[in-house]
Formats: sequence, C-alpha cells, structure tokens
Amino acid sequence: MTGLRTILALTAAFAPSPAFAADSWGLPNETVVEIEAKVVDVACTLTGDCPDNCGGGKRQLGLLTPDGKLRLAAKGAVNFAGAVPDLLPHCGKTVFADGLLIENPAMTIFMVQNLRLSKDEDLKPATAFRTEWTAKHGKADEWYRVDPLVKKVIEADGVFGIKGLEPKTDE
Amino acid sequence: MRRPSILLALMLITASASGSLAEGKRVQITGEIVDTWCSITGIMFAAGTAHHQCAVWCAVGGIPVSIKTENGDHYMVLKLEDEDTSVANPTIVTIQTHEVTVDGELHERDGVKYLFVSKVADDKGIVTMTHEDYGIVPFGR
Repeated sequence: MTGLRTILALTAAFAPSPAFAADSWGLPNETVVEIEAKVVDVACTLTGDCPDNCGGGKRQLGLLTPDGKLRLAAKGAVNFAGAVPDLLPHCGKTVFADGLLIENPAMTIFMVQNLRLSKDEDLKPATAFRTEWTAKHGKADEWYRVDPLVKKVIEADGVFGIKGLEPKTDE
Repeated sequence: MRRPSILLALMLITASASGSLAEGKRVQITGEIVDTWCSITGIMFAAGTAHHQCAVWCAVGGIPVSIKTENGDHYMVLKLEDEDTSVANPTIVTIQTHEVTVDGELHERDGVKYLFVSKVADDKGIVTMTHEDYGIVPFGR
C-alpha cells in the first residue's frame, strides 16, 4: 500500500493543473467555484430596461446561470477594481467564470478571478481593468493612489472624507 | 366586448412572458454608503472615516456601492436619481461613507437587495468616526 500511496501522491503532484485556477482567500461564506453563465446587465435583467451592449460599461454586470441564478459580479482580479471591463466584451454570451462565490447572509456576490469562453480554453486572469486603466493613464504600481478622480476626491476632503480632519503623523 | 377581452389576454401573456421582471417595491432606506466588496467579505474593517479612502478607491474602480443600514442590511445601488451609471458613478464617488436617506425601488433576487434610488432625501455627510480606533484602513498612511 505504501508503494501505491507514493505513486498516487507523485501522480497528483505532477498532474497538469489548469493555469490560474481560482485562489481561496479564506473569506467567511466563501466557495471556490467555476460557473458557466451568461453575462447580463443586472438592471436590465431586473427591470427590462435594456440599453445596447449591457450599458457599454456604465452598468453593473452579472452572471446568469443555466438554473436561473443571478450572480452579481462584484469584483475582478485587480486590487480595488470590479469585473465589468472583463465581462463587458462577452455581453449576452456564455462564459466560464472562475472565482469566489461569497454567500454572506446580507448579500451574495461573486469575485471573478479568471475567465474562459469554453472548457477547452485556458483560464485568463480577470485583469482587464488594469489593461484599460494603463492604456488611459500610463503604468502605475498602485493605480488607486494615482488615479485622477481618486486624487481629486481625496485632495478635496482628505483620507477620512472630512475637510480639515487630518491623520496623525504616525498613521 | 370581445376586443377588451383580447387586449386583457394579450396583457396577461406579456406579463407572463416577462417572467423574472418583478415589480419593485417602494422603500426609504437610511444608512452609510459603503463599498460592497470590503463590507460584505469582512476582509478588513470597512466603516466610517477609517475606511473612507478605500471606499473611494473601490467606487472609482467600479466595485458596486451599497447602503448599509444600522441593522447590517446591504442595498446595492444600481441607479442614482437621473444618472444611469452604476460603475464608478462620479456623484456617488464623492459621497462615499456619508449617511444618507434615500427613496427608491427595491428589487430582491438571489441573495441581493438591489436599489434604484429615485431621490436622495437627506445627506448627513460622514457621521461614523472610526479613525481614532482604526487609523487608515488598509495600509495606514
């Protein structure tokens, strides 16, 4: 049996694994999952008010599974950024979204870490926000510290959001 | 009388065909404007002044914005008054962390309370002071 266990362990260790499979973040109520779903405009799905192309990037997008579950795609794979730039090119199409389903009693959300259009393809990281942001503003290690709108808001009201309320020097 | 009957039948068929398009419910909600990701995942402390900068980052990054009520309910904002932009909406970016009272239409589906805000009835500004206890979350200064 020891030999068999060794063979099984070695087989598992060297078995090909899909590139970029979702990572657990160890969050409460989290499930690592790849879901097959149609990319939809959430507001359109709820109300029937449906502009062209899922709102062209102005509307939050969701993933509608074959069993009718609507999953809100709340985040992509870039720090502090959503998944709309990744999903928008696939508006109305079926994708395989690999990521974290967070079923908090207060709200169920989905973090898209990787995408592919069929099970035969390799997963691609959901980093379109960074690509689009870099094309617009240039390369930056931390987009959120140099983004013009972020800087405008923080310069106006401060990091605490109240004009004149400043952090202590050791913060 | 036949024509009204046909019209009624057509209306019923249309309503049935729309299936999942539920009627929204008129509500008034009071709470803090929060970034949905940090608040729902609990990945960090995510309330009040301490988390304001992060809330701005996330809103600008296109992460959905919610209103968190005193009892912990979250209402994801899909529309704000006349603006149809729910991704990095420039108005909502500037009122992150504010305590607001809004009127709107609520749609609930698959574990999410979606809110279409028709009017911001009151904006008290930022009232939750957490920076003394938590500093700047995340990363500090």
